[in-house]
Amino acid sequence: MNNSSLSPEQVSPGQVSATPVSPTLATDALCMSYGQRRVIENLDISLPSGQVTAIVGPNGCGKSTLLSGLARLHKPGSGAVLLDSQDIQHLPARQLATQLALLPQEAVAPEGLTVTELIRFGRQPHQGWLRQWSAEDQRVVQYALDAAGLEDLADRPLEALSGGQRQRAWIAMTIAQQTPLLLLDEPTSALDLGHQIEVFELVRHLACHGRTVVMVLHDLASACRYSDNLIAMRDGQIIAQGAPAEVVTPELVRELYQVDCTLLLDPDTGSPLLANVRRVAQPA
Amino acid sequence: MKVMANHPPLTDVVTPSHVLNNVPIHTAEHADSVPAPEGYWHIALPRWGYSFLLEKRALAVNIGLLIALLASCLLYLSLGSVPLAPSAVIPAVLGKGDMMTAFMVQELRLPRLAAACFAGAAFALSGILMQTLARNRLATPGIIGIDNGATAFAVASIVGMSVSIAPPAMALAGATTAAVLTFGLAAGSGTQGYRFIVAGIGVGAVFGAVTQLMLARVAIDTANAAYPWTVGSLNARPGGAVQLLGVGLALGVIAALALARSLTLLRFKDATASGLGLRVKARRLQILMLSVVLTAFAVAVAGPVGMVALIGPEIARSLSSARHVPIMAATLAGALVMLLADLAGRTLLAPIEIPVGIVTAVIGGPWLLWILMRPQRSRP
Repeated sequence: MNNSSLSPEQVSPGQVSATPVSPTLATDALCMSYGQRRVIENLDISLPSGQVTAIVGPNGCGKSTLLSGLARLHKPGSGAVLLDSQDIQHLPARQLATQLALLPQEAVAPEGLTVTELIRFGRQPHQGWLRQWSAEDQRVVQYALDAAGLEDLADRPLEALSGGQRQRAWIAMTIAQQTPLLLLDEPTSALDLGHQIEVFELVRHLACHGRTVVMVLHDLASACRYSDNLIAMRDGQIIAQGAPAEVVTPELVRELYQVDCTLLLDPDTGSPLLANVRRVAQPA
Repeated sequence: MKVMANHPPLTDVVTPSHVLNNVPIHTAEHADSVPAPEGYWHIALPRWGYSFLLEKRALAVNIGLLIALLASCLLYLSLGSVPLAPSAVIPAVLGKGDMMTAFMVQELRLPRLAAACFAGAAFALSGILMQTLARNRLATPGIIGIDNGATAFAVASIVGMSVSIAPPAMALAGATTAAVLTFGLAAGSGTQGYRFIVAGIGVGAVFGAVTQLMLARVAIDTANAAYPWTVGSLNARPGGAVQLLGVGLALGVIAALALARSLTLLRFKDATASGLGLRVKARRLQILMLSVVLTAFAVAVAGPVGMVALIGPEIARSLSSARHVPIMAATLAGALVMLLADLAGRTLLAPIEIPVGIVTAVIGGPWLLWILMRPQRSRP
């Protein structure tokens, strides 16, 4: 009803039809602890909209903790995660779930669900006890099935799928959530190469359609190949951030993983490749 | 209607939001043309923007169980030391017909029938709530010590005061104590994982021992009076407890149905449920409290008939699809199991009565073994 107080000039048609921008996700002096241990120290990052950001780093560097902080699974010790400059701690759970979808590591579904039934759960934040199904829900579930290339598997039980197909089904669920932001925690960790590529190509497809994707990855080579923006973490700190071709250097690889390597450029894609990877010779 | 004017039918509004810009936007459709997901009926009230999904299989299962329950009720009222014709029972329930029959049905059998139905339903409902919470089919209130906690406190009130003061209140206090202890001992590992169950088994054993100790130290008559409490029986129902259970069960079913969507999400891991917009911690606490209260009120009526909490949900799950947590089906199945068990206990060795707790244990023991030992089941 407050709309009546707005003058017509304030809601010009031009403003309404302007292309809306995906909300920005950023952290402000974020500190997170795991038990007694400080895992993330005073972190300030801003995740570029509409791009794929990969977070890489050695085991225990705090990358998964950071992702869980971004998704509000863990409360920060201090500082904040900001969604469009608003602290996500103050957002209602359901509202956050319409802005930000999360695919946790090794997600498990209740026994016996089919692909479509799983994807339908993605509509949950848009539904309620009194609004259980709409034309919109129907359309979006169908879209998610198509986008993830699962049309032919729609009625298969999840247990009957291959690892890559199952992971695509989970991503399809987050697609159905229709959030501009998508967080993936090691989406390919348990998959073989072919299935990894299936998942990465789907992620690229989503970014092409305007979604902001943030994924934690183990594999630096895949991160270079499939991300626009790379965040390299060590000991809870960011040691490099930017386009993979610019930030990935032998020095960075050594700092992250204690290995020496030769960097090549992929002749087809221009993304950095790691060759001749070997342990750093320990000074005697 | 005026209030509703602010809420036009959702299906008519296609918000041109950025979230949608990767979804091909079709023309606005009317709700009644929305195809329901397979296996569901879609009931839409576009005028208010309401829409509901009714799973066909769930409806069939619930109706089937309800019919079975009603038939069992008729059987329960007919059989006994004085067998009655089912044709005479129905008018007697309505207060018509032969005075003697009406007395027997209304004063003797009907109250016990209500106690059996309510207690069985409450046990099974609290069972499926706790199982969903713990994501473990063995994690029923009986197994994690809540039944025994409630029993110990109720028995304490009987042996201590010689007259039982408010067993429901005592049972509630005991159930809450047991739940708090189990959680405390599971120390931070939450309701998932084996630690919670092992802690619960320990708490249950301690309360069981306390109950036995109390009974061993009182006069034999008092111990006799308290005995039904320790095995579970519908023979010694404290006055008022059944009515309280009835009200509690009705409210509990409503609350559980209101929580149905959350329960369905809680079957996923916390991170997934939370990512889908569920306030996991708050919901979990609500569900836990509901389960504890239901168990306490049921124990106050029937004693620790914990097996029903295992059998009822298991029957419901085997009949239902994997899409939902079958709350209603478990409730109905629990009532059915309790009723049939008590009927068997009353009639098999008549005039000797077998306490219902023993009947369900005799059925439930092998059942439990079967659950543990059968191969990984495949769902339809």
